[in-house]
Amino acid sequence: MNKATYSLAESIKLLPVNIRNSVIRRGGGSEDQERASVVFGNLFLHLHPVRVHLNTLRLGYTLGLGLISFYLLVILIISGILLMFYYIPSIDMAYNSMLDLEFAVSFGVVLRNMHRWAAHAMVAFVFFHMCRVFYTASYKSPREFNWVVGVCLLLLTLFLSFTGYLLPWDQLAFWAITVGTNIVTYVPWIGDELRYLMLGGTEVGQMALLRFYVLHIAVLPMVMAALVGVHFWRIRKDGGLSRPLDN
Amino acid sequence: MQASEKEELFPKGSDKTYSLMGIVEGEPLQVERGPDNMVMTYPHLVVRELLLFLVVFIVILGVSMVFNAPLEEPANALHSTNPAKAPWYFVGIQELVSYSAFLGGIVAPGVIVLSLLLLPYLDRNPRGVGVWFSGTRKFGIVMFSLFVIVMIVLILIGEFLRGPNWNIYWPWL
Ligand code: HEM
Repeated sequence: MNKATYSLAESIKLLPVNIRNSVIRRGGGSEDQERASVVFGNLFLHLHPVRVHLNTLRLGYTLGLGLISFYLLVILIISGILLMFYYIPSIDMAYNSMLDLEFAVSFGVVLRNMHRWAAHAMVAFVFFHMCRVFYTASYKSPREFNWVVGVCLLLLTLFLSFTGYLLPWDQLAFWAITVGTNIVTYVPWIGDELRYLMLGGTEVGQMALLRFYVLHIAVLPMVMAALVGVHFWRIRKDGGLSRPLDN
Repeated sequence: MQASEKEELFPKGSDKTYSLMGIVEGEPLQVERGPDNMVMTYPHLVVRELLLFLVVFIVILGVSMVFNAPLEEPANALHSTNPAKAPWYFVGIQELVSYSAFLGGIVAPGVIVLSLLLLPYLDRNPRGVGVWFSGTRKFGIVMFSLFVIVMIVLILIGEFLRGPNWNIYWPWL
């Protein structure tokens, strides 16, 4: 071993460079190779291919709607985790948590507002995204299955939004969920049982709040994250975004 | 590149009537475009994606600084609000339920979800992919638009035109 090269002093001098190089894999080579390695050397970017078709960049084609849906989801997850530090899923405490957020927690109102408005926006934008996919015929072969995954994502978005709606435990929440879950009772044969399963009782109460809470912060977000992963991976496997035939 | 390397890469064949005149360094004619209109994901797509995130974040933050999320009185199981409305995205269904609970609340949503799931397997015609409102699929476009319009109209009626006891109520009267 060459002591000069591996001296402690030298290591300390090269610390920034070495740390940087250990985190970021440098591709080296030509400019394009370097750019390629930015994408495939990064966990968060490697779902992308190294090159994409020009049509993919056309804002007028996708209108960015799928990506906007995804970004709203990211904002919801981050603001939701922060809200969890203040929210207590009990019928005696939940409403007080809302008041705390509004009056006691620094920027608590903004946090709650962001979570609420992003949730409403997400329902709308996922729907718009579905319309875009329909009107550009992007559900056709070979993308049929990704459309099906998308429909599941739409339903998940609705359920996430619906389960979150109860959590503030105010009149708006209580009666909206009462009305909403009443619809379930019209399912033939098992309607009442289904509603009982959702609410953990015959009325919206502590059990219902807890069930909606667990679904809202654990079960549905995990399913959502997994399905979004499948959705993005399928885009790649289906040959990138749909586009008209090249002339 | 060294001249000797060029010689090696492209050796002059004695039986050839042509020879390589020279290699020019520089941008290809289609600057920044590969074959088949492909471009590098980084920076072209990645930069646009990050920009869009900034826009979305700023808009949501801006809206949240101006408008407060609603918070009514604490929940009271003994005092129902009148009317009690579902969240806006289910109000269209609630409007249908007010006509017929079973047809509106179960059959209609079931048919909608099932048709959406089956759509790509029922419409096997490959025409029109990648084109907005392609004229080759008028029937599908009309049907889907009808669905979208009916949903929006139902939501608007339920949200804005329904008052106490779910009676029609004109907001401007
Ligand atoms: C949580 C909800 C969803 C998220 C986050 C999401 C995200 C995305 C993203 C980022 C893309 C890339 C293109 C673009 O940005 O528009 C995309 C494409 C696609 N999405 Fe979604 N999506 C969601 C829901 C849906 C729904 C509801 C459908 C349809 C029922 C759907 C069907 C598709 C299809 C078929 C593609 C491929 C489009 C093409 O090749 O042009 N997605 N999605």
